Amino acid sequence: MTIFRIAARETVSYFRSSIGWVAIALYLLLSGFWIAFAALRPGEPATLRAFFGVSQWILLIVAPAISMRLIADEKRTGTFEALITAPVSDWQIVVGKYLGAVAFFIAMLLPTLAYVGLLELVSDPDYGPILAGYLGLILVGMLYLSVGLLTSAITENQIVSLLATVFFFILLELLSTTGGRWLGPPFDEALFPLSIFLRIADLAKGVIDTAHIAVFLAASAWFVVLTVVVVESRRWR
Amino acid sequence: MISLRQVQKRFGRVVAVRGVSLDIPQGQIVGILGPNGAGKTTTVRMIAAAIPPTKGSVEVAGLDAVGRSLEVRRKMGYMPESAPLYREMRVRDFLRYRAGLFGLTGKRRAEAVARAAGQCQLENVMHRRCAELSKGYRQRTGLASVLLHDPEVLILDEPTSGLDPSQIAETRSLIKGLAGRRTMLIVSHILHEVEKSCDRIILFAAGQVQADGAPEDLIRQLPGSEQYTIEARGQRSAADIFRTLPRIEHAESTALPDGWERCTITFARGTPDRREHIARAAAEASLLVRELHARVSTLEDVYLSLVASAFIPPPPLPAGEVAESARPEGASSPAPSGGGGRVREAGGGEGP
Repeated sequence: MTIFRIAARETVSYFRSSIGWVAIALYLLLSGFWIAFAALRPGEPATLRAFFGVSQWILLIVAPAISMRLIADEKRTGTFEALITAPVSDWQIVVGKYLGAVAFFIAMLLPTLAYVGLLELVSDPDYGPILAGYLGLILVGMLYLSVGLLTSAITENQIVSLLATVFFFILLELLSTTGGRWLGPPFDEALFPLSIFLRIADLAKGVIDTAHIAVFLAASAWFVVLTVVVVESRRWR
Repeated sequence: MISLRQVQKRFGRVVAVRGVSLDIPQGQIVGILGPNGAGKTTTVRMIAAAIPPTKGSVEVAGLDAVGRSLEVRRKMGYMPESAPLYREMRVRDFLRYRAGLFGLTGKRRAEAVARAAGQCQLENVMHRRCAELSKGYRQRTGLASVLLHDPEVLILDEPTSGLDPSQIAETRSLIKGLAGRRTMLIVSHILHEVEKSCDRIILFAAGQVQADGAPEDLIRQLPGSEQYTIEARGQRSAADIFRTLPRIEHAESTALPDGWERCTITFARGTPDRREHIARAAAEASLLVRELHARVSTLEDVYLSLVASAFIPPPPLPAGEVAESARPEGASSPAPSGGGGRVREAGGGEGP
């Protein structure tokens, strides 16, 4: 119950702060442009593949902007001290905050359902790839947010948290795809599976591979657990 | 109620708290004083189960603050310095949220919020966002948030920091009203405030307890606390006349430009009020007195004297020895409580 209290406060706080609305506006604006100029064109297939493709890039900035305040801001303002002296365990704090951010993230995606409606008006879309695409966005968002949560626990500076998260994923992508291609066999077989974007591309095509889902969920859970360790580290540092 | 045994806290190579032992009985209001970096906030954070000690043990109501930290936190209300609040939340929502964290739900939560708001006179601002509150109301909201679960122990870190004089007076009267059966620890830099509202004072410096006792006991034990200044004129030097008084330690006269002399005399520590003896001695020696002033030592004198003595620079260390070992680890603190206060010898014993 405590986890949901913390999560609910976190979600509501995004809607009461400018960063929440800026994140929503930025995401809808950029993805809307893409829909208008790339997806809704005569002769184009009735899919949202272009939207899902560009969303993972936009979310690479937007999701860390959502997560950067989770713990860093509480530490900066001192509310974290009040939180850790309440009868709440560290994992309840971390998981509660993470779920709160994920709930806001999903709420941010909801207005994009209008794009589906728009597609339905002008064509006859296949809903399978659309559902798979949204599943992919939620999974990649959860992963971005989990890494953002970790960097937010490490630093008290929100901008450092944002930049560290973005650079982490850019480096991961460069290492896995460009590095894989450059090194060739047999290294590419080990490096390509690390690519987030290759997995998302599969989901955007409508391929729901349980391996992809498991990787995203396991990686997200791993970063959340790492965050718990970082928060708990104040006890043994 | 609160018991610390040989508590030490290290942050990397820095030793913030060095072998502190304390016993604080239920219902006592304790002022914790000390300069920045003295270890007082670290100590109360260990009592509040926010961080564990590196060595030693902390118990609250018989519960180990490390092993049973969640239970300890349920008994505790800890208001950190500057009473941090969620700026975007309304006061009512903030208090409801905090009550929820302490396991209060439904009717119990509503009652707790109403009671704490009433105690801290927040009724008129319950609908306002925390960001819109004045500092005084912010402090009150922070205070209300730690009263929701009716804690047995209340720890307030700098409760009047940044407030104007009228807000300080309001907060002080509010804090006084919260006493009673509760054990209260007030961390403060404001000596006057602590002296007025606390039964006992624990003075920290250099990570150790330098003095512990009732404010008046600490002041009484301060060297030079029985000092008098007399402005007089007569046939003989005032200093010569007063030197004959029993228990006198020092007498010195200075000539003033208008023909009078100012005499400063000091009696041995613990000497009761000597003004009557001084006046009688002056009368018997036909000394004309225009001023007799007993210099009353204050808590500030105790503070400055002990803090200064705690920071005597350490001697150079032998090669390879780390800086913090300059003070013996586990050096015990003065006696926890009781009638007379205990003051660590200036720069002595535990000092380098």
